Amino acid sequence: MAHITINQYLQQVLEAIETRDGSFCAELLSFKHPHVANPRLQLSSPEEKCQQVLEPPYDEMVAAHLRCTYAVSNHDFVEAYRCQTVAFQAHKEENWALPVMFAVALDLRIFANNAEQQLQKGKGKVGDMLEKAAEQLMSCFRVCASDNRAGIDDSKKWGMLFLINQLFKIYFKINKLHLCKPLIRAIDSSNLKDDYSMAQRVTYKYYVGRKAMFDSDFKPAEEYLSFAFHHCHRSCQRNKRLVLIYLLPVKMLLGHMPTHQLLRKYDLLQFADVTKAVSEGNLLLLNEALAKHETFFIRCGIFLILEKLKIITYRNLFKKVYQLLKTHQLPLDAFLVALKMMQVEEVDIDEVQCILANLIYMGHIKGYISHQHQKLVVSKQNPFPPLSSVS
Amino acid sequence: MSRKTNYRIGSHSRRRGGGRAGGREWRQEQYEEENNEEVQSRAEPSEPRGTCMSMCPARELREREAQRRLHRFEMLAGTERDRMPKADPSRTVKEYSRPAAGKDSTRPSDLRPPSVLLKTVHFLVDDIAASPTLQPWNEVYDFVFDRLRCVRQDMVIQRVSGPECVAVLERMVRFLLYASYRLCEEPLRLYDPRINDTHLQECLSWLLDCYSSGEHQHQEEFQALNLLYNLGSARALQCALELPERVRTSPAVCLALEVNRAHLERNPVRVLRMARRLDFLQSCALHRHLGACRRDLLMLYSHGHSSRNCRFPLQHLSHLLALERPRTAQLCQAVGVAVNGDWVAFSKTSYTETPLGDVPSCLSPELVDKKQGDRTVSEVIHGCA
Repeated sequence: MAHITINQYLQQVLEAIETRDGSFCAELLSFKHPHVANPRLQLSSPEEKCQQVLEPPYDEMVAAHLRCTYAVSNHDFVEAYRCQTVAFQAHKEENWALPVMFAVALDLRIFANNAEQQLQKGKGKVGDMLEKAAEQLMSCFRVCASDNRAGIDDSKKWGMLFLINQLFKIYFKINKLHLCKPLIRAIDSSNLKDDYSMAQRVTYKYYVGRKAMFDSDFKPAEEYLSFAFHHCHRSCQRNKRLVLIYLLPVKMLLGHMPTHQLLRKYDLLQFADVTKAVSEGNLLLLNEALAKHETFFIRCGIFLILEKLKIITYRNLFKKVYQLLKTHQLPLDAFLVALKMMQVEEVDIDEVQCILANLIYMGHIKGYISHQHQKLVVSKQNPFPPLSSVS
Repeated sequence: MSRKTNYRIGSHSRRRGGGRAGGREWRQEQYEEENNEEVQSRAEPSEPRGTCMSMCPARELREREAQRRLHRFEMLAGTERDRMPKADPSRTVKEYSRPAAGKDSTRPSDLRPPSVLLKTVHFLVDDIAASPTLQPWNEVYDFVFDRLRCVRQDMVIQRVSGPECVAVLERMVRFLLYASYRLCEEPLRLYDPRINDTHLQECLSWLLDCYSSGEHQHQEEFQALNLLYNLGSARALQCALELPERVRTSPAVCLALEVNRAHLERNPVRVLRMARRLDFLQSCALHRHLGACRRDLLMLYSHGHSSRNCRFPLQHLSHLLALERPRTAQLCQAVGVAVNGDWVAFSKTSYTETPLGDVPSCLSPELVDKKQGDRTVSEVIHGCA
């Protein structure tokens, strides 16, 4: 396979098309397949050869694919992206060819990404290439979504989730999350949504979970991300780790702390100090841990979510004050001392009252503040309800 | 054959320049192009370059004079009461007009080059917005708002970028921020905060886009203003976190981030306290959130201090809210917090969630006005410290 001639290659494509073998055809047009490394196929102008063997539009598509392999071998991703666009557009809209679309669409996104990086070294506008790739994928998505003629078994609707996942990847990269909404709606209203392949569903849930998280809908976020984590194939450790990066903060916000083993297993020890700080009510350590791994957390886009853990940390710190003083009437000064010990800047008794009022409002503390007596009066029963029962 | 291929590729890139190429639509077009050689020679349409060297194109000036559509700020002194007022060319500014089908808005003689646009903005700021004689100010605002909108339109059509673009946008943002505060008590028919907000957001995002390449003198100032104006916006915060170290750690941005953190933790006491440390324009930017912030405080305190035999001094509450006492009492009553002489009684059951619109926004002398000090409007908008 690795060193076949152009004629042999074209014969194989022809055969795949004639037998309508979607997955074999997809391989022959995919950059995951070894033939792309075959120098005998890396041609700068393979059009004539292709036209001799193949019917339109496949001649153009294969020619573009081969030009693309040529461009990639020269490390010219901008050109590769251009060729891939041609291959993608030439894509014939027949239902057996869905796997071909998957292969070509995937490579399209990857090359758009590479082209982007290559252009950034020069001075291109960020996101341009990816945005255009998204447009291409979107037009393909519209074709799939509106395929009402074919029977459900070979409907183009089976292509929807794959394309949505590709589009999600782009939208998350270029920070246009609002564009995800209509896609999510399309899947929600689809009767196929539970029948797509597990791999596709896992990817989908991963992105929908991340989206929910950014919209501060933590409960659904936990649900989606947990689904992704539990159903992700066990050999895909890297993907499981990616899911965890978002699942962990959400779980922590809802009061579930990860174990040290889990963090070590997935190489996520950046979270170790954060976890420790939150459970101990150690604000100082929390701030240090956030500062230390700032770059990592910001890059993943979870820094702000982790900052929300402060509220739970206050709760845990204040619970310790209560346990130490062993009374139900706690002087506000005691909390102020605790906060100052944690080096919270410029904090005073008014802020203590505000933080306590917030915790009471959220249900983390059962009790009330007496301003006249400068005391927090807590309930005799269960003044600090367990976190998981609160949110 | 290869020539044909190159030509095809060329056609794609041109197509993509136009954007939104649907797969099917594209294919049809390609077949047409193959039969149509002249398409190939069609050059990429370049953006128009303005040649109009005055604030208002001569054609529009004559037209509006003849149709008596001059604004009173544009009339030649002494002719205002005439049947046909004359235009004062040194005060007439191109007005905004909606793009419409069949209308050519790209004529170079109607477009002003960047340097003229900047001069126009200076005129609008110094001679109109800051004028002590032009009254009432909401009319001043309407005029400046419309003419600035047209400046922006001219910039868009010519795809202006670079230092002049930045200078123009910076003044627009400052003007709109200042106006959003100064007019906040006006009735809706005179000033619509929604429309002001839409334009302000557009200017801000364009400006921040300009900042994404190269070094800019005022970047910190506007990053901070963006964070304060869009308090609590996850998007604004995430973008701020991704700023280059130098900008992110500048005092202005740090302070704005601190305010956002306090808001994120839902600590209105801290937000209102930090608000005292903001400068005048920053305070204008934050001002639209103060109402919600004060109500947050009352809501939290209603829950936290909810006990029959507890009371809270009104004086202290008005200090926390940074409001005068009568205003504090007014606000308390609006949300169901009982006021009894010098004391208020919080109760979570009587606290009522009233829609934000029911409590009109009001000027904050304490948190905003007094920070203007003796700076004039034009100094504020030009950003002189």
